[in-house]
Amino acid sequence: MMLGTVQSGFGYWNVYAWIVFFALAAVLVFYFRSAGRSDYKVGTYQDEIFYGGNPVPKDGDEIAVPASSAYWGFTEALSPFYKLLLSLHTGIASDYVGYLVVTTALISALIVL
Amino acid sequence: MLKMDLAKTLEILPRSIWVFLCNSGSCNGCDIEVVATLTPRYDIERFGMKLVGSPRHADALLVTGPVTKYMTERLKHIYDQMPDPKVVIVVGNCGCSGDVFYKSYSLDGPVDQVLPVDVYVHGCPPRPEAIIEGVAKAVLKLEALRESLDSKEADVADVAQS
Ligand code: SF4
Repeated sequence: MMLGTVQSGFGYWNVYAWIVFFALAAVLVFYFRSAGRSDYKVGTYQDEIFYGGNPVPKDGDEIAVPASSAYWGFTEALSPFYKLLLSLHTGIASDYVGYLVVTTALISALIVL
Repeated sequence: MLKMDLAKTLEILPRSIWVFLCNSGSCNGCDIEVVATLTPRYDIERFGMKLVGSPRHADALLVTGPVTKYMTERLKHIYDQMPDPKVVIVVGNCGCSGDVFYKSYSLDGPVDQVLPVDVYVHGCPPRPEAIIEGVAKAVLKLEALRESLDSKEADVADVAQS
């Protein structure tokens, strides 16, 4: 039942109780909001986003830091390894078949010896 | 029963001054003392003083340091972002007078060359007690400013009605 009371074992949930609570919270929020001062000067610095005292950049992308920056040290330290891997990935099928043949030969040799 | 005198409570509430701290080139000594006033030994938060992260939430601008050229525009910008009424508290000899750096080529300060200063707290760095005294003076000044602002508002409302 959607509108009935749901007993969870820890308490209950009831849609009417929830609506009453939401309405009370909304009344409180609007009361506090209306009690605030509204005499700041619109259109001046008082109305501007705080950006450490600097002018706010027009384009957010100018200051965006990509998530990959978090791994910069990691990828930089392992760059010789990554370069080797990239050079191996040529995209030419005969190269990959060659790697398969060489690896199979090496493993077979290890098993036989 | 807990009895609350609403009028009295509302009268006390604005005395909880919210402060934005701006380091305009200080050596950090003064900033450490400001933070020390918040530690349990002095615990100025019990009187309602609180450091806030945005000047748009602040009643007072607390400036440390002698205002280096790089910081001048930023300090003015931060001051302009604060809502009225507002006060400026300068903490430390550097901000009050420039101290040993007063002849430096890289300064636009002391602070009163850049902003209207209301309270000076001397010392290098000042003790937390001195900072607390400065804040108490700032609260008094703020109350007077708030009253004058309110009366101005009332005047404007009267003129608008008549
Ligand atoms: S007054 Fe002293 S402690 Fe404060 S910023 Fe200047 S040199 Fe540092």
